[in-house]
Amino acid sequence: DAWDMPTPYGDSTFHTQNIAQFADDVREATNGDLNITLHTAGSLIPHAEIKNAVRSRQVPAGEFFLSRLSNEDLAYGIDSQPLVATSYDEAKKLWDAQKPVVTELLAEQGLVPLFSVPWPAQGLYTNGEIATVADLNGLRFRAYNAALEEFATLAGAAPVQVEASNIPQAFSTGQVQAMITSPSTGVNSTAWDFVTHYSPINAWVPKNIVVVNQRVFDKLSDDTKAAVLAAAATAETRGWEMSAAEADAKTAELAANGITVYEPSAALVEGLQGIGTKMLDNWKGNASDAALSILTTYQQ
Amino acid sequence: MADPLIALVLLGLLLLCLAAGLWVALSLGAVALVALLTFSNAPAGLVLATTFWGHSHSWALTALPLFILMGEILLRSRLSNDMFSGLAPWLGRAPGRLLHVNVFGCAIFAAVSGSSAATAATIGRMSVPELTKRGYPQSLILGTLAGSATLGLLIPPSIILIVYGVATEQSIARLFIAGVLPGVMLITLFAGYVAVRAWMNPELIPQEAKQFSFVERIKASRNLIPVALLIIGVIGSIYTGLASPTDAAALGVVLATLLAWLSGGFSWKLFMDALLSATRTSCMIAFILLGAAYLSVAMGFTGLPRNLATWIAEMNLSAPMLLFALTIFFIILGCFLDGISVVVLTTSIIMPMIAAVGIDPLWFGIYLVIVVEMSQITPPVGFNLFVIQGMTGINILEVAKAAFPFFLLLLVGVGLIAVFPQIVTYLPELMSR
Amino acid sequence: MRRFLNATYKAAGMLSAFLILTICLLISAQIVLNGVGRLMPGLLPSTIPSYADFAGFMLAGATFLAMAYTLRSGGHIRVNLVVQRLSPRAVILTEFLALAVASVFVGYALYFCGALVLESLHYGDVSNGIIPVPLWLPQSAMTFGMGLLLVALLHTLVELVTTGSPVLSTPDEV
Ligand code: NA
Ligand code: NA
Repeated sequence: DAWDMPTPYGDSTFHTQNIAQFADDVREATNGDLNITLHTAGSLIPHAEIKNAVRSRQVPAGEFFLSRLSNEDLAYGIDSQPLVATSYDEAKKLWDAQKPVVTELLAEQGLVPLFSVPWPAQGLYTNGEIATVADLNGLRFRAYNAALEEFATLAGAAPVQVEASNIPQAFSTGQVQAMITSPSTGVNSTAWDFVTHYSPINAWVPKNIVVVNQRVFDKLSDDTKAAVLAAAATAETRGWEMSAAEADAKTAELAANGITVYEPSAALVEGLQGIGTKMLDNWKGNASDAALSILTTYQQ
Repeated sequence: MADPLIALVLLGLLLLCLAAGLWVALSLGAVALVALLTFSNAPAGLVLATTFWGHSHSWALTALPLFILMGEILLRSRLSNDMFSGLAPWLGRAPGRLLHVNVFGCAIFAAVSGSSAATAATIGRMSVPELTKRGYPQSLILGTLAGSATLGLLIPPSIILIVYGVATEQSIARLFIAGVLPGVMLITLFAGYVAVRAWMNPELIPQEAKQFSFVERIKASRNLIPVALLIIGVIGSIYTGLASPTDAAALGVVLATLLAWLSGGFSWKLFMDALLSATRTSCMIAFILLGAAYLSVAMGFTGLPRNLATWIAEMNLSAPMLLFALTIFFIILGCFLDGISVVVLTTSIIMPMIAAVGIDPLWFGIYLVIVVEMSQITPPVGFNLFVIQGMTGINILEVAKAAFPFFLLLLVGVGLIAVFPQIVTYLPELMSR
Repeated sequence: MRRFLNATYKAAGMLSAFLILTICLLISAQIVLNGVGRLMPGLLPSTIPSYADFAGFMLAGATFLAMAYTLRSGGHIRVNLVVQRLSPRAVILTEFLALAVASVFVGYALYFCGALVLESLHYGDVSNGIIPVPLWLPQSAMTFGMGLLLVALLHTLVELVTTGSPVLSTPDEV
């Protein structure tokens, strides 16, 4: 078989490199019986359409940002809920709790998750050090989803919608003054051109997920299925390691380019936790039973 | 069937459809459909619906109808007329006279808009009727417009540099800065070409009716105030952070309407005319973009451009030879696909080749944009040609002929940045310090 | 019938124009909010939620709703350099073929756009922005626009057969 597989991010992203390795592993393990061709950077299907394209079997498999689906069910978005899981260990524990629920939800759309890999934890970019949440008050704050908008509002900041590609310009023109994003995005947008301080507050650890269409998968021979699942398990382990390495490397790169990297103060952490708790309460009010069960399992 | 044969068959089919007078958007779509049905296993119909849907609601595209509307409003108001009467006294002695309005008008508008089609539509809407009325030769009017409008891609903001930056993880801010000097270089080349043509053939350029004294020039310049306010307002809103580059298009419409109304002679009826005309033009362009997107996706599924790029990769060329081969490859591909498709379809294969021979990816991004600029004016699929045909009714082949010197000038530009890479890298390096 | 159809194309075109105007006003409102946020922070909310999403959906609506209107006003461009040199009878024949191929392609697209709407309805697909928008809504506008384009193509085909002369040409305005 030959699979066309769309991914949203570019070839130099570690997620893409991990998937390329996954495709190689599958090709090797099946002696070329299953040949996966990657179409990176949204070149085949735009990011927003990838999940549905796999669902309707336009492509057998694809990758997307998991919490994009949180409007479908809040269970998909728990990993982007601020300050629920703030380290790789916690993120792993959260994924263990989230995976069975997400698997069941995706099954309703005929999709099977193969593996999921996190982005580096999200840190705070500002000009000048932020000692307490009160320092965020009145700042124009980049928000690209509902959770961040709520976060900014609770922190007393003004949420502003800015796309990733427009970050440098938005900062240099004063359209925004603060953002929370991964050190990877910080390096890619050369954050040192427009901010002075970075704090790894590890607000959340969002993930990408790779899914395959159930019916396409079922048609594979048992050997090929086993090979795909084995390669997927390896890719998940490898991906988490790559992510941790990426977090260290990119944070170091921020520092090397002159950004002051500082650990968040106890007061800031406490303040952020307060916002996180309020947001989680709101989240619980809207969450499905399945989504709530993730939280129960995770918090045990 | 072998790849080169498939490519030839599809090419022949595209030319046949276009020659038979099938609408451009539908010709692209029909060829894509045949390619998918014949040479891939993808479900062509579902992919068609996904592509039409996925590419029709993009935020970056929303600026296009708004900029076109701005051009339509300016055309119907006194502003465009005023602009030419304000500029005429100043350009009266310059070789090429008001033709430079096309070059510099496009260059200024390129600093507002990230797309070359919007640049051609907005500037051309005003300049083509005015220059034709004043007796300038058609080929130079169309050529300068088609050629200079491609600057929309290179001078920041630029949609294609964002696409390239996202796909290759280059800093978009640095890419934008890197585009500035090459942009100035191309403006100089274009303006220089117009001047040389005018020198060689003085009778080509109509005389301005009278000579102006300095005081008269200053007086006439008052006519430029409204347009200057418009440009300052739009560019200013971007650089003060009040508006994103896409937002700025809406501001352009509001300001143009306001100024048109204040300067008199503008009416509700003219506004409705402008709006309906903009609706038709942007529908035409968007439909072609959708057809082109479907063809691009079909090429992704059949793997043709990828295989061609791999074929070049396997030649293991040296850096200069690789650039030479790639330039030819991109020019050929650019005749049949739109520029952005060329970039997204081939970066996965091309970027490792670039890295292997040690070419700076930042430099390569600018190189790529200039090559893609060429694709905007090469037939049969060239967006500036489509926009100008839609605007003037003059056939794209004729427009392409008029634009051919500018294609060559862009090629000269590529040669210059290859020989003097500092043109690209100087400003970004300054930024790093 | 003919008048009813022409009125329908025009009405869809007007709707499309209205959408473009609405996009313009929506974005302008956001720019005003940006300005107010700078001068008097906190006076007004800083963003219109999901305004970029709404603008995108309205753009899709505007594009597809105007398809038929643009076709009938000769706005969709084509290369008629070759056709111009043919004999009058050959012109009619190629025009017929072009309309037929166009109708088949648009009919095919229409069928699958409809399928996409049904799928979005079936799964209850929503947009991923701050305000979830049911996707079948803007997708229906797309499908309606493609349907109307098919009607316009067939309408033109019938006119070609009954009047025996090519109906649509690219406008010659400069
Ligand atoms: Na530009
Ligand atoms: Na071209």
